[in-house]
Amino acid sequence: MPEFIDDFLFTYQTLVYSLGINGLLALSMYVVLALGQLSLGQAAFMGMGAYVSALLTVKIGAPFLLVLLAAMLVPALAALIVGAPTLRLSGVYLALATIGLGEVQRIFFLNSELTGGALGLSGIPMKGGLVSIYGSLGLALVAFIFVARSKIGRAMEAMREDELAAGALGVDLPAYKLAALVVSAMLAGLAGALNAHVTSFISPEDYGFHAAVSILSYALLGGIGSPFAPVLGAFILTLLPEVLRSLADFRGVVNGAIIVLVVIFMPRGLMTWRMGRIGASTRRPS
Amino acid sequence: MITRRLALAAASFAAMIYAGAAAAQTPVTIGAIEILTGPNNKYGIAIKNGFDLALDEVNKAGGVLGAPLAIAYEDSAGNKDQALNAARQLIGGKKVPLILGPTLSNEMFAVGPIAVERKIPIVGTSTTANGITAIGPYVFRTSLPEADVVPVTLRTAKEKLGVKKVAVMYGNDDAFTKSGYDVMKAALEKLGIETLTTETFGGKDTDFSAQLTKIKSLNPDAIVVSALVEAGAGILLAKKALGIPDSVRVIGGNGLNSPQVPTVAREAADGTLVGSPWFIDKPDAANQKFVAAYKAKYNMDPDQFAAQAYDTLFIVAQAIKDAGAANPEKIRDALGKVKHNGVMGPFSFTPDRDPADTSGVVVIEMKGGKFQIFK
Repeated sequence: MPEFIDDFLFTYQTLVYSLGINGLLALSMYVVLALGQLSLGQAAFMGMGAYVSALLTVKIGAPFLLVLLAAMLVPALAALIVGAPTLRLSGVYLALATIGLGEVQRIFFLNSELTGGALGLSGIPMKGGLVSIYGSLGLALVAFIFVARSKIGRAMEAMREDELAAGALGVDLPAYKLAALVVSAMLAGLAGALNAHVTSFISPEDYGFHAAVSILSYALLGGIGSPFAPVLGAFILTLLPEVLRSLADFRGVVNGAIIVLVVIFMPRGLMTWRMGRIGASTRRPS
Repeated sequence: MITRRLALAAASFAAMIYAGAAAAQTPVTIGAIEILTGPNNKYGIAIKNGFDLALDEVNKAGGVLGAPLAIAYEDSAGNKDQALNAARQLIGGKKVPLILGPTLSNEMFAVGPIAVERKIPIVGTSTTANGITAIGPYVFRTSLPEADVVPVTLRTAKEKLGVKKVAVMYGNDDAFTKSGYDVMKAALEKLGIETLTTETFGGKDTDFSAQLTKIKSLNPDAIVVSALVEAGAGILLAKKALGIPDSVRVIGGNGLNSPQVPTVAREAADGTLVGSPWFIDKPDAANQKFVAAYKAKYNMDPDQFAAQAYDTLFIVAQAIKDAGAANPEKIRDALGKVKHNGVMGPFSFTPDRDPADTSGVVVIEMKGGKFQIFK
């Protein structure tokens, strides 16, 4: 019997890890979307965290906790620098600028000797695990629940619904936007570091436009009414390809069809409850 | 509660008896992780075709260990995480004693450590990047790495065409084309061929005129290209369009060694030189038989990925027979000793689990939309 459990855990280990990591990425998308900002830089911040952490582990052998901290701080710093000019943009213009950030970084990774070019970095030790991944996700969720129920959360919601009105009511728009981007970058960087330390290999292609859109789709599928919604979206989008594995050739088609149907019939996402109610009724985070 | 437990025990007992009776017929199942969907699936499907064709022949000849051999395919869609899930599925769920694939070197870098951790031999048939077998003692590959093929091509070009100075182009966003370039660079230095310029491009680029205009002005004897099919064909078309003379040949890595190059580039592809571990018109009987059988079954020409897969399945089947049991450890030991004479020529593994024999390499050139042996 223990062998059976062992095999089960082994079989679904990557999937279980991916669920948590993609949940973190969904939250990183949620922070900016919750302010009504469309940023597609999350994949870039994730890659930054992944590369910083992998290099620290492989080349220096730094302790894992320190590595995770660095993987959050470096993208946060980058977000501060990039954020100041780009947050003057809004809507699709912000999206385009942040896609640009990802492309610049991808080309840097491809051409730098330090990052191994297109061959990426392999042989990263498996230091991440259930505790680090789900601990991070749990902490992030709890923090977001507190924030969403506080004055900050109400200000964020006001900005999402009507930026001008929120500004007129005294909400410090630039400060909120920059703070959201920095938090988003930290979460994405953390997710990148955890991913690098459970899949043992990273390459520049993992953090390109495709990844950026995947992360956005977590939040779109789940919704942004509460922090739980994007995490649910991430769980579903990560599980679907594996659950549908037995369909073999039809996997891609069914996977796509499910997503299209959800978007058509539930345009506000799968979970449309607003935060106020969720915070009051949910004592146990699911 | 007790009755339910009793029923469960009875059911599992019955299942055990049934399993015992069926054991003689239960096939020996090995796993395969290939790209069966998505943009790179042409490689995965060619490989699957090659496996399936060889599988038919192995099973017609009595299978292995008194049972038929079977392959459990898992799709990786060219994605690292999905390849990992597929490998865990095969090792932990289906309990396969050996894994074939995955298709791309990038996927092998992610999957290889898992196989090594669980001590399951994993045999790449198309993973040519440097450092694949260094992942661990259970990682094998049957594809000749570029490091073995490219020097043969360049030496032939130097000897027969008098190539002295070249321009180099490579796709720098793909592990395959990048490591192909590394090999080219080393081989060019070793042969004393001068490199006038090194230009890079992205695998999804469609416009190569900037790089080729610069190359044209430098007047090289040949252009050495490390690219996959799409970009490679684009380069050939742009070279023709810019009026670079036909005497300036394109010397390609393994990526240009595909029948799809002339279907895109048409006459612009003429004169392209590549080295190949396998060639469709190789005259030996084993190869002719393979090509005929492949055409009959799939109604199209095999490519080298199919040929490598075809040989690999025989090598693996031989190893399972030699091992005497579907036991990963025994199969691994047996694999190291297998000698096989297949469509790619004589085959055995080096102690580092790479292919040992490069005598099967042929240099081929494109003429009138078809590759032929370069003389």
